[in-house]
Amino acid sequence: MCESMRSAGVGIWLVLAGGLAPGCGPAAYDIEPSRDTHGTIEVTARLLEIPPGAIFERELYNYATVLKYQVLEVHRGKVNGDVIYVGHYNPARPRAQVADKLVPAIGGNLKTFHAGDVHRLSLDGAMLDHFSGGVLNKYAEEGADPIYWAVWTDLVRE
Amino acid sequence: MCNKRLIDWVVIVPLLAIIAAPGLIQTAFEVRNRERPGVFEVFDRAPTARNLHDFERDLERSSLVLRVLRPWVQYGRFRLLADPGEKAVAGRDGWLFYEPGVRFVVERRSEPWQPGRAAIDAIRAFRDELQARGIVLYVVPVPGKESVYPDQLAWRATDAGVIVPARTAWLFDELRRHGIAAIDLFTVFRQLRGGRVHASPLYLAQDTHWSPQGAQLAAHAVAERILRSGAIALGNRRYRARTAAVDRVGDLVLMLQSPAIEAFVSPERVLCRQVLEPDSDVPYHDEPAAEVLVLGDSFLRIYERDEPGSAGFLAQLASELQAPVASIVNDGGGATLVRQELARRPNLLKNKRVVIWEFAERDLRDALDGWHIVSLDRSNSIPR
Repeated sequence: MCESMRSAGVGIWLVLAGGLAPGCGPAAYDIEPSRDTHGTIEVTARLLEIPPGAIFERELYNYATVLKYQVLEVHRGKVNGDVIYVGHYNPARPRAQVADKLVPAIGGNLKTFHAGDVHRLSLDGAMLDHFSGGVLNKYAEEGADPIYWAVWTDLVRE
Repeated sequence: MCNKRLIDWVVIVPLLAIIAAPGLIQTAFEVRNRERPGVFEVFDRAPTARNLHDFERDLERSSLVLRVLRPWVQYGRFRLLADPGEKAVAGRDGWLFYEPGVRFVVERRSEPWQPGRAAIDAIRAFRDELQARGIVLYVVPVPGKESVYPDQLAWRATDAGVIVPARTAWLFDELRRHGIAAIDLFTVFRQLRGGRVHASPLYLAQDTHWSPQGAQLAAHAVAERILRSGAIALGNRRYRARTAAVDRVGDLVLMLQSPAIEAFVSPERVLCRQVLEPDSDVPYHDEPAAEVLVLGDSFLRIYERDEPGSAGFLAQLASELQAPVASIVNDGGGATLVRQELARRPNLLKNKRVVIWEFAERDLRDALDGWHIVSLDRSNSIPR
């Protein structure tokens, strides 16, 4: 019995060590983990809502979705008004894993978008200058313009 | 007795270890990266059914064990069982098909068919708005690979040839009834391929899209129809062309998200006809002020904005028309998103005589964001 217990214990520590091994580090496309150096604008803003169907797993194509924020504080640069529209790339994925060949310079610690959460965002202007793929814009009728492009998205714990 | 207890422990302890390991590994990984362990996020929100469901989904998405193991499990299934997973269907001779596309072809439509009605309403409204501006609309539903090569999907369909799914046939009937011009690529493809897989197939084996030959044939058919109608005249820009080879890993392979499968499957080598500007080696490029505007999805993007560039439907169409075109391309967004973008960029309607609206036939049921009427009112004041 002692032998089997010992073997199981060794097994558990082995898998734990696996989790800590350097080979399991961040993906190759991760960028420097600092929002300060990315984008031309930096704000803290509250995600006002997630419209139905705005975020979902999409197998065949990458896409960006447009989300609406209430700006709480501007740290760097300038935005138009208190309410802004921000395009997020493949929003169903954690920000730390979303960078890929198509959009390599993107990141953050946010894992999931939840309405009401506060995000610290590094943004670039004019989303279409940065992303040419499919764009899901549930605010098209509101004339969402400009649409900023989210480069870095961190969750702010209140 | 002692032996029995020993066997119990030999079974129980590893089982508990297997159950506990993913969570322990995940926590260890997050602590090492100085992150707050995700498991504590369950306390961040009220324990409603929705929040708990979201929490469970987040755990799954961020699971290191799943990220590491899943691609290998998929690889094993793919190699040993020829099973490409839930969203793809293995056909004959290494062909892959997109499961929603297969369902679109084989499932019966319900009555009344709301998505179909919404599509017709949106197309009619768009046609009317364009007509008010003196612009002619041509609708181009692109056949799914399953419709053109059902014989590569199942041997029972060997003699089926190119089929028109019931929903698509309904769409063509409705378009005809409402006097909306549609271009029937099913007939075009049927005439070319006959009952056999052509030496240069019209669709890629491991991708949902057409081959360079398919794109070229479609562009030829569309150009011929527009020129014949007299909506525009043949231009005078003599584009040049050269052959460009591309090794392409199909989107159906990439969709599996398994590097091992990607390494195992050989890329498909395709020969493209890359269109060049007259008297130069500069690849063809769109011109926003052109007389023809093309709206569509990834069928327009492939070979055009992907490698090799300027060799997709748009460049071939321009080559046939001997005039540049303007375009709005939105992957998977051929139904509504392209028109939303047009409403945001009303200047694109300036100088237009023809709008060609391409979308994949399966969008009739599975359109991203559905079919909505999009008003172009903001472009009312655009001078022609």
